[in-house]
Amino acid sequence: MSAPPAHSPMLARLAEQRATGVLLRDTGALYLDGGAVVHAESPAAPGIEVLLTAGGRLTPRQWREAVDAAGADCATGRWLVEHRRIAAGELEISRLGALHDAAYFVLAPAAGPTRFRHGVRHWFGSLGAVAVPAVEGEALRRRRLLETLWPHPALDTAPVTPLRAGAASAGPAHLPRGQAAVLALADGARTPSAIAALLGRPAFHALVHVRRLAALGLVETPRHTPGQEQPARAPAWLQSIGDTPDAALLRRLLVALERL
Amino acid sequence: MADTETALKDAMTSIEGAIGVALVDYTSGMALGTLGGGKDLDLTVAAAGNTDVVRAKARTMEMLGLKDEIEDILITLGGQYHLIRLLRGRGTSGLFLYLALDRGRANLAMARHQLKAIENGLEV
Repeated sequence: MSAPPAHSPMLARLAEQRATGVLLRDTGALYLDGGAVVHAESPAAPGIEVLLTAGGRLTPRQWREAVDAAGADCATGRWLVEHRRIAAGELEISRLGALHDAAYFVLAPAAGPTRFRHGVRHWFGSLGAVAVPAVEGEALRRRRLLETLWPHPALDTAPVTPLRAGAASAGPAHLPRGQAAVLALADGARTPSAIAALLGRPAFHALVHVRRLAALGLVETPRHTPGQEQPARAPAWLQSIGDTPDAALLRRLLVALERL
Repeated sequence: MADTETALKDAMTSIEGAIGVALVDYTSGMALGTLGGGKDLDLTVAAAGNTDVVRAKARTMEMLGLKDEIEDILITLGGQYHLIRLLRGRGTSGLFLYLALDRGRANLAMARHQLKAIENGLEV
């Protein structure tokens, strides 16, 4: 199986024009500033607030304080560093991780039509931009990595179902911590994205662990059905936002409230 | 607290014989930052490939029942040393620093010591 290239002509053109705004697809949004990617979000990937708070790095209260104080100025990230809630390097690492994690889903080959809203900025702020080819290259590398681990893309979106027979023969005792944590939360209903959100880890990590677990026979591999490998779809209201930065802020708040 | 770029620059300039350095996410194989390398050493490829080295060693330790942590892994080539240092800070767990050294110019004991200092700088 060869994955189609992640290269999007529209994205390449926006990078060339040094465009600022948000690229909207069915699977999420990519924020550009001066033609480079500064933020990405997808319903399939935990947002940076989940990575920072579920991991225990910040309390939800500290997070809300930062959004209240600086979200409207699109400078939440800078506020967190300036008020010593988090170190600059640590925030940068989390932010980069979250960016590539969401971009992987936004740039999925079957993500549907693409639209661009000029002038929209993200409330987190532009702390450091990543060039479009680097973001696309990383998404492609990730797709290929999953393909080499266990070539069953349906695993990415299907509920994770543990296999008892496999557990009895292979024995979960020697599983690396990451895989064991994912397997412990697999209940036949949660998808890899849902498990990632509970763990406060990037969704792609869960995809990697699930593919490895399936290859070991510890997790059920769904029967291949062509056309069922659709990535998680964003709700319809996602398509109608992006006209103002405030709409983007409200949307993040809605997502955060739904996760409570 | 240094940002990633500063930490990598520190490694390249302060460690004698450094050829290239990368900060790598262990699960995804993504290089969060790279410096040096060049056409003879593609650090992005090295980053992704060396996650398998770390995983194999971690798995072996689990199988042996060793309740310990890997601090670093040294790979000695004919002309180079490759040093992998696993980070364990609150915000940097799941990452490792990967350092390639020119074997003729490097002082291994110093390099290990300096890499540890760079790790501390990333986490404070």
